[in-house]
Amino acid sequence: MHLHTLNQSPAQSQVYRQALAAMADDDCLLLIEEAVQGALPHLIGPFEGLAGRLYVLEEDLVARGLLERCDDNARVVDVEGFVSLTEQADKVLSWY
Amino acid sequence: MNVNKANEGMNDSNIAHTSITPPSATGELLVILGHAPHGSSLLREGLDMALVAAAFGRRVSLLFMGQGCWALQPGQGEGALGQKGTQSTLEMLEMYDIDNIMVEAESLERLGLESSDLVLSVSVVDAASVQQAIASHTLVMNF
Amino acid sequence: MRYGILLLGAPYSNQAAHSALRFARTIIARGHQLDSVFFYHEGVHNAARLAAPPQDEPHLVDGWAELQREHGVKLDVCIAAALRRGLMDEEQAGRHGKEGHSVERPFELTGLGQLVDLGLRCDRLVTFAP
Repeated sequence: MHLHTLNQSPAQSQVYRQALAAMADDDCLLLIEEAVQGALPHLIGPFEGLAGRLYVLEEDLVARGLLERCDDNARVVDVEGFVSLTEQADKVLSWY
Repeated sequence: MNVNKANEGMNDSNIAHTSITPPSATGELLVILGHAPHGSSLLREGLDMALVAAAFGRRVSLLFMGQGCWALQPGQGEGALGQKGTQSTLEMLEMYDIDNIMVEAESLERLGLESSDLVLSVSVVDAASVQQAIASHTLVMNF
Repeated sequence: MRYGILLLGAPYSNQAAHSALRFARTIIARGHQLDSVFFYHEGVHNAARLAAPPQDEPHLVDGWAELQREHGVKLDVCIAAALRRGLMDEEQAGRHGKEGHSVERPFELTGLGQLVDLGLRCDRLVTFAP
């Protein structure tokens, strides 16, 4: 399994397309920084195919006041969960 | 040839010109270039990284995706103040034995670039080959 | 596990440096070894020794130095990316005929070869970018 991190909002940047193209079937995607917007119901569209493999960083949601608006299909993880994902992944790729 | 699933539902008029070649070699370092020349120095500094790795004897592959594909547009030059672009760096890749150079098909298509009209001879690869390239290199770095 | 971090974002301009420092502290707290943080692209500005943020903001430069002091994390700064952005240690300042210097230990100017080695040596290399 590879972990892919994305830090750009899908409402602002199309770099998520590259992350998705680069993801194998068992890879995980973690939304951080501005990309946490991608966990909102209105913006989660591009990531809908990632059931169970879409994660979002809690503290970046909280800082933006978005935690309560997060879609149920995104799994909220704290920074320990972020590190834990990098432990499980063979490689970590950053899309920005 | 069925190009890839990523092209489903897209106008495929340009696809006939692309050839899908799986990456030939595994390697130690895969550098993914996803930013355009001139607007930022990420592309240039990513290429510098690749050249240094190759100079140290590492087997290096390059993959152009998204905005990084603009690096392959012919006819680039310096900026108005003489700031360097990246075309001269690309011309040095061969000297550094960097010959596994890939570009993602869907990115080319989206930007209206033709694989027959690029500054380098590159393998046009689909999403599955991108994933395979990531898996088959020890280290992958995104610039 | 051995980790390396590549930081490409400037401090106080985007979130990358904050994210990277937070991640660095967490991997150490979980018992991993952080070999080195490599500063490249705009990330070299994290090594600016004269950084003086307001007291009620996190001090990123001090934060990195503390990682070195308390956990032996190497702080490697790409010399080519640093020099062109005005970041240099005393030795480079002398070489370039500049008065004063903007980088000091525990940050060390080094070449990109170190980044390649770091990536290949560590179990995980994690990049934080603008």
